[in-house]
Amino acid sequence: MQTSLGELEQLVLLAVLRLGSEAYGLGIARELEREAARRLSRGALYTTLDRLELKGLVRWKLEAGGADRRGLPRRVYTVSARGVVALRASQRVLHRMWRGLEDVLKESS
Amino acid sequence: MTSGRPPRVAAWLLRRTLPPRDAGAAILGDLIEELESSGHTRAARRRFSRQAWSIALRYALRPVPQPPRSSTSQRGEPMGFDALRQDLRFAVRAIAKRPSFAIVVLAMLSLGIGASTAIFSVVNGILLRPLPYAQPDRLVYASETERGGRMSFGYPNYIDYRDRAQSFESLACHQGESFTVVGAAKPRRVDGRLVCWNFFSVLGLRPQLGRTFTSADDRVGAPPVAMISDRLWKQDLGGDVAVVGRTLKTSELRFTIIGVLPAGFRFSRPEDIFVPLGLTVTPDSGMLDRGNHFGLYAIGRLKAGVSVRQAQAEADHIFADLTRAYPNTNSTNGGRIVLLRDRLVDQIRDTLVVLMCAVGFLLLLACVNVANLLVARGAARQHELAIRTALGGTRWRLVRQLLVESTLLSAAGGALGVVLAGWLLTLLVAIAPPDVPRIHEVSLDRMSLLFATAAAAACGLVFGAFPAIQASGGGRLHLLARASRTSSVSPHRTRRALMVVEMALALVLLAGCGLMARTMIGLNAVNPGFRPDHLLTGRITLSGSAWIPDRRRAFFDSLLAKLDATPGISLAALTLSLPIEGSQWGSIFTVANKPVPPRDKLPGAAFVPASASYLSTMGIRLVRGRPFDSRDGRDSAPVTVINESLARTLWPGEDAVGKRLKQGWPEGDSPWREVIGVVSDIKLEGVDQDTPMQAFLPLTQEPPRSVAIVARTSVDPMNAARDVETVVESLDKDLPVTKMQPMTVLMSDAISRQRLSMVVLAVFALVALLVAAVGLYGVVAHSVTERTREIGVRMALGAEGRQVLRLFVRQGLLTAASGTAIGLVGAAGLTRVLESLLFGVKPTDPLTLGVVAALLLAVALVACYVPARRAARIDPLIALRAD
Repeated sequence: MQTSLGELEQLVLLAVLRLGSEAYGLGIARELEREAARRLSRGALYTTLDRLELKGLVRWKLEAGGADRRGLPRRVYTVSARGVVALRASQRVLHRMWRGLEDVLKESS
Repeated sequence: MTSGRPPRVAAWLLRRTLPPRDAGAAILGDLIEELESSGHTRAARRRFSRQAWSIALRYALRPVPQPPRSSTSQRGEPMGFDALRQDLRFAVRAIAKRPSFAIVVLAMLSLGIGASTAIFSVVNGILLRPLPYAQPDRLVYASETERGGRMSFGYPNYIDYRDRAQSFESLACHQGESFTVVGAAKPRRVDGRLVCWNFFSVLGLRPQLGRTFTSADDRVGAPPVAMISDRLWKQDLGGDVAVVGRTLKTSELRFTIIGVLPAGFRFSRPEDIFVPLGLTVTPDSGMLDRGNHFGLYAIGRLKAGVSVRQAQAEADHIFADLTRAYPNTNSTNGGRIVLLRDRLVDQIRDTLVVLMCAVGFLLLLACVNVANLLVARGAARQHELAIRTALGGTRWRLVRQLLVESTLLSAAGGALGVVLAGWLLTLLVAIAPPDVPRIHEVSLDRMSLLFATAAAAACGLVFGAFPAIQASGGGRLHLLARASRTSSVSPHRTRRALMVVEMALALVLLAGCGLMARTMIGLNAVNPGFRPDHLLTGRITLSGSAWIPDRRRAFFDSLLAKLDATPGISLAALTLSLPIEGSQWGSIFTVANKPVPPRDKLPGAAFVPASASYLSTMGIRLVRGRPFDSRDGRDSAPVTVINESLARTLWPGEDAVGKRLKQGWPEGDSPWREVIGVVSDIKLEGVDQDTPMQAFLPLTQEPPRSVAIVARTSVDPMNAARDVETVVESLDKDLPVTKMQPMTVLMSDAISRQRLSMVVLAVFALVALLVAAVGLYGVVAHSVTERTREIGVRMALGAEGRQVLRLFVRQGLLTAASGTAIGLVGAAGLTRVLESLLFGVKPTDPLTLGVVAALLLAVALVACYVPARRAARIDPLIALRAD
């Protein structure tokens, strides 16, 4: 079954991919803020992650936390194979939609 | 602030809402790591809280099949917190789906809760909250009575009572007084009180600065000392701590300030100067005369375990003794003991009770109306509910869902209501007449919030119950099976019943408003017996021993001459007592050539020294004889002009002119006065009281210390005020003119209680009428929509538009009429609380009740007619095809 992704879902998945072993909640939030200029509420972030998990697009494993988080664990996310497929599909859709519009949308420098 | 702990509220919130085990721990860990890494700055802590809220909200409202891995295992009922969470989420969604509905409901609720909370706060602050003194339930107010009505003590009576009474830990007398403070640029009249030395210790009050009085201060000839209010200290004396020992100069005496009372202290009216009463009990003051009642009252602190009733019984006993011992002065006197709190608020209590009842009705109406709306919506939602039932929701679950919805609405309504109450209260305190006792103690306090919460909760239960009961009844399959357009009986019957209640409530409020309106019309139509327009009034007081009678006469003469010569003033006069404001001198009198009645049957009248020009200045009609004139001087024969009431009572069917009477007891030494004229009655004690017997005396023969100036002006009265002040100042620069106001203002202030009640009732009644009309419209319109197909059938079978119209109008009017009938019964019983405020109309006045009932029915007719006409215009073809 092809899962179509929302924009926020795409951004979160991409952030997880970029971060690698640092892809836990706070890291993702910071990455989104830094690279995508998106300050989304933490509630929105975690529920998005939950949703992605429910769709089978991400997986996570627990890592023990250090003193800076009172020993509370980290959930480090990785994008599942289905997640990568879904991202590729989204990218293809976007590419198709962009095709032929280069002149219209090109950035005037 | 850099505490190592996360913000407490946020942490608590997270513990409540985060998913269990690792998932929640990881989220919390993220938040804490962020907080730690930004060094616990204030901004970071704020962000922590904000994020905690966003997480809590998301997780609280998240679809319940929640732990991601078990999404499909959820069957049956969620339990406990989860279930409530789900209910809440549904409720928020259901409300958000119809925002206009929510707005109407919230407006209704916040109005009802807000208005009733505001009025409750006033009632609580004035009537319910204990006085701000130590053990206030033991504080009582003592007075004499005269033929059962309250009267001040004769000083010797007070002393005798004090010495014999055993009920009190302590008893202290006091008397309102005002002082002319001089020394500043402009002399100022300041209210104060003469008090027994132990007055403040009876109240349990200590000065914030200096000392209180001692018994040594409280006697004739003692060095004059005074205690002052916090306000006088701060505003006039700069709040200087060294004020104790300084001199307060008044035109009466120079007082040494010995103490400053605590901020916020206020006995009955705002007062600034307190002076030992004993200073004034000089032999020539008249205080030692048992028959003189100069406004002396007492407060007492009951001994522990002594009730007001016991103290009253003792007072009865002592005054019976005094009557036996002093039959000449005490033949009709008794004693009265009431709780101090009751005494301080007894003029406003009736008004407050009326307002509280009215606002209670408004709240009830809002409640019923919201119930009505919810029932209507419940009917519309039956399809949804039926589906949910069919899918396995239990009946209890549905009822609970509806109750959660209504609770949510009422909670929001309550919160908005409190905000509204805050505004309304500020407004109420601002427009309340300044003499309302304890109004400065009124605030939106914990009790008010408790009241608002209780009101909101009660509302939620009441209006939530109807749709819930309705949803719980009826077979599920039946509900699902029936097409959305056929009508169901049950919600309609409920709505009609609610409409009947609404109509009844509206009628009661309308009746109250109608009665108050009649009262105001009656009060405004009262002929005061004089011409109140273009009349300026003010008062001056010549206090101090230097103002001997002859000096007062001379002063009055030159004052009148100067006033008469002032442009803008056509005529001026002086009098002891102003009409409406009330008699300043009531006295027994004796009639010549008539058998002297027993002491307790001696007649009494208001004695009013007035200048010769008084009758013509006021525009009082002379019925017989002549007014005072220049012939009636200090040494000429004593005369009097009486009012018609006195003439009619004493000499019925005779000509009173030429008869003689004297003020005081038969054996008294005041002179016999010949009646030279009779004038028509004027309203003396307020607008709504009967005119007492009244006897005018020439000012020259009886010059009082305090006189009211009345000036008939050719300009707006207040424009002449400055001129009057200038004239008085030119004669004595230390003499302030107080209470300067047009007569019309004095008259309208006298009916401010009634006006306040009427305005509030009118607003409430209008809201009630509107709400009821809209409600009825809604019911009929809804019924028209539901029965569209039936109408189509009827019309296809030959019914005419007129018949359809009549059908719906009759149905609506029947509802309205039942409500009106019930309301009439209720009003007849309930308007009795208004009785003490009414004037010239009975609480069960058939005309008023008839008019408001007709008004309500007329409005109801319009409310039914509009939707009914729509029904009559239905095209049968469209109606039938639409199904």
